[in-house]
Amino acid sequence: MAHFPGWHLLAKGIARCRSLLRGVRRRDDVEAEMYEEFRQHIELRTADLMRTGLARDVAARQARVEFGNMDTHREDARAARGLRTVDQIRFSWLDVKLGLRMIVKHPVLSVTAAFALAVGIPIGIAPAHVARAIKAPLPEDPENRIRGIRLFDPATSNVAGVDYEDFRFWSQQLASYSTLAAFQTSSYNVASEDGRAAPVSGARMTAGAFEILRTVPHLGRPLLRADDEFGAPDVVVLSHALWNARFASDPAIVGRTVRIGRTPHVVVGVMPPDFRFPANEQLWLPLRAKPAGGVHQAIPVRVFGRLADDVTPERAQAEIDASGLPLYAATDETRRRLRPEVVAFGLTFIGLPRGGVEALPEFVFVQLLTLLVLLVACVNVAMLVYARTATRFREMAIRTAIGASRSRIIAQIFVETLVIAVLAAGLGVVAIDWLLRHVNIAALAGEAALPYWLTLGVSRTAVFQALGLAAVSATVAGVIPALRLTRQAVNQSLRERSGIRFGSLTGTLIVADIAISVAAVGLALSIGAKAFDLASTNRLAGIPSSEYLAVEFRMPRDAVSTDGSGDSSQAATQNALIAALLNEATFRRVAVADALPGMEHRSQPFEIDGAPDADDASLEWVRWVHVDPGYFGALDQRVVSGRDFSAGDAEAGRNVVIVNSAFVELRLNGADPIGRRVRFPRASDDSGAEWRTIVGVVGHLGVNMLNAEHGDAVYVPTAVGQMNPLLVGLHVGPSPERAIERVNAVASRVDPSVVVGAPLVLSSIHQGDWYLTLAVAVGLMVMAGVLVLLAASGIYAMLSLSVTERTREIGIRAALGASRQTLVLGILRRSLVQICSGAAIGLPVAARVVYENGGSVVGESSPGMSVLVAVSLAAVVILAVSLFSFSIPTKRVLAIEASEAMRSEG
Amino acid sequence: MPKPAELLPGNLELVILKAISLGDVHGYGVLLRIEQISQGAILVQQGALYPALYRLEHQGLIESRWGTSENNRRAKYYCLTELGRQRYSAEKASWRRLTDAISVSLNAKLLEA
Repeated sequence: MAHFPGWHLLAKGIARCRSLLRGVRRRDDVEAEMYEEFRQHIELRTADLMRTGLARDVAARQARVEFGNMDTHREDARAARGLRTVDQIRFSWLDVKLGLRMIVKHPVLSVTAAFALAVGIPIGIAPAHVARAIKAPLPEDPENRIRGIRLFDPATSNVAGVDYEDFRFWSQQLASYSTLAAFQTSSYNVASEDGRAAPVSGARMTAGAFEILRTVPHLGRPLLRADDEFGAPDVVVLSHALWNARFASDPAIVGRTVRIGRTPHVVVGVMPPDFRFPANEQLWLPLRAKPAGGVHQAIPVRVFGRLADDVTPERAQAEIDASGLPLYAATDETRRRLRPEVVAFGLTFIGLPRGGVEALPEFVFVQLLTLLVLLVACVNVAMLVYARTATRFREMAIRTAIGASRSRIIAQIFVETLVIAVLAAGLGVVAIDWLLRHVNIAALAGEAALPYWLTLGVSRTAVFQALGLAAVSATVAGVIPALRLTRQAVNQSLRERSGIRFGSLTGTLIVADIAISVAAVGLALSIGAKAFDLASTNRLAGIPSSEYLAVEFRMPRDAVSTDGSGDSSQAATQNALIAALLNEATFRRVAVADALPGMEHRSQPFEIDGAPDADDASLEWVRWVHVDPGYFGALDQRVVSGRDFSAGDAEAGRNVVIVNSAFVELRLNGADPIGRRVRFPRASDDSGAEWRTIVGVVGHLGVNMLNAEHGDAVYVPTAVGQMNPLLVGLHVGPSPERAIERVNAVASRVDPSVVVGAPLVLSSIHQGDWYLTLAVAVGLMVMAGVLVLLAASGIYAMLSLSVTERTREIGIRAALGASRQTLVLGILRRSLVQICSGAAIGLPVAARVVYENGGSVVGESSPGMSVLVAVSLAAVVILAVSLFSFSIPTKRVLAIEASEAMRSEG
Repeated sequence: MPKPAELLPGNLELVILKAISLGDVHGYGVLLRIEQISQGAILVQQGALYPALYRLEHQGLIESRWGTSENNRRAKYYCLTELGRQRYSAEKASWRRLTDAISVSLNAKLLEA
């Protein structure tokens, strides 16, 4: 019979696997068959012996003697099937119970180890979890058929805006989507029963959006295609929450008229409670655009659709790649460069690569970094497991002596560690889930709330990943010390001491833990103080921020008004609004910009005229702010060199900017900036951007909360009518909150459609930087806490074992007259050296970090005082480590009686 | 009857393969067949038989099925697989080469110059 080459290897492999699997999965059946076969053998032999004339009982006895011990044959047979190794690493429920018992017996070491892993494991799974959440399908799309279309700029690696004309073009060209829709979001003033208007976030959507989402309204109907037509009645669909809060859940709401902005709208439907598409919207209006042709009017939208049956996202991408460009884009250089991409819905909002977070070049690095954190935790836990297991040296030696194999003992230690790791993973996952539900994560990104589809709560996949990492952690933290311990256990006699010692690696680990935790305390203190010192940047700039009211005015972004005439009155409304505010005696000064001091400042790529050509290198970015020419004066700021903006600087063609002193230091190395030119290209090869001349320099105006010295910014004069939303700083004087009613009244008088964001005192604004800073500080504190606990537990474990090992020696020395002080010092010496070494490394780092971050640790204190505070706190940490780890071992040393110690060992 | 010979390590499997190659047989039958074909020259320790059988089955050289024995009891019968047949042929040829070589060596005489 002919066979292909190597078939016998394959056949052998298959046979071995089948035999092994059967032995593992059907262990009882296999053993029962074995015994049955043995018994049959003995019976046949007995029958043969009886034929030679032996009596039955004699023959049976002889047959059994000839056959030998059945259990021994069974063991040999299992070994022949390759099952002995499997038997040795077989875990039992008893191992788990032993693991739980060890936690009770060594609570300090076990809880510390669990705490370290409870921090490390969630950190390890975090990057993949976030990546999955961003690409997750919408709650309305369990089949995962909805995909967005966005425009990606390969030159800047940024996501560019999609125009309504793109949507119209794709709607006509693409067969890959069964339905395509466009939407844009904005805020709208909705008048309630009593006539009072309040801003509500809403979306204008083409009717296809409701067809794609397939959500059935709670009342009435969704938007229909007829609603998209010009001349159709103005209609609105309300969210369940809005209907509930503003219209008292009126069951007869459908058909009633509600004023939105200036225009009455007929309510045609109410959506169910969970419907908040596309992010957290509360009302939906039709999105109307002029028919194709004529002068192109830019209407920014986002586009999404439902893929047609059997069409994959890859096929849709191929079709859109081949579909060409809409007519308007043919003459638009920037638009021609953009590449349409079929992406998960979330990626139409988030400027990540098409593949999501995991496609970022930094993702692998971040993932490795988080796993490194977990590895550090594992190595520390390994030290604790080593210490915990070392106390059972005699038990292991006895078990080895009576036949337990080394792998069986290793397996048991692994399971004991696994119990801790699984408990830690569960604890970590529950804690993170709670944090994600109760901490304002959106604020870290400078948003009021996360989109409803971005659920960062712990998923089933995340739980499985956490359990997987728990198993890996238990392998690292359990098996490695077990290997070392069992080697010693096997080699030592039962009567001898264990001979177990903590090596130099353990010592180094403890020193590193202490050094890093002390430094982290300093860093966390410094950063945390910055975050809490809210007014620091404004105080630095000299702005009396506690006297300013910061208000956002947003003009509803109506793509095209109902009659299709466009929103040409926006600029006039904005100008009228600012003029009205200036006319109010309550407001001494009015500063207008698209970001106020202390708020998030957007960044933009830029170039400096005369700087060395960066070739095709990536562009540098700088924070930029559009400001009204009177901005600096309104904030009571004077230029430090050059001139302030004049009223005409906002006009087209003037092309001037003002930079701040951080820009001069960082970008021009302190050289005179006046007369130098900057420009803001959209890409590194964009030579069409206009140059703008620097005419003045201002001081730090709260651009960067974390470090004012590094907040380099460029201020671009802009006409009030060109900014939407407008961020307005109103100088009211002490207690500026009293002017809030006045602001609303003025806005309502000028135009009821102007949406007024919640006014805040400028000094109390918490935005992205602040939350991020606070999160970093808290993270550092947690890390410092974990390291302190690990170091303290490590030293404690080391000392405990040392006292146990040296009880006899201590007893003898006590009997020979050694003082108690000498005895205690003899035990503590090594740990004292480790703590001092850690402190010697960590304290200067902590002091330096605090000193360099300014004197804000304690109010207005000097840098020297801050350093003193930080070092004192770090010293408290060291003292805590020492007290915790020294107290019990010292007591044990002092309690050793010479006579008992002599009796205790051989 | 000659005095039973001690089997060299590894040779037990070869003898078992030979016994099974003559027809399907249960464990005790293997023992008897070896005794029969070796004319009592090879006596297999009963304790060594089953680990060897299981090792051969684990390696895919023989396979087993349950049948009825001569005393009307359920018994496990072994037969050679294709892999086992090939291994038996190869081992037999190898053994012959070895025994021939050893025989030649043992029969060699010193040549007179």
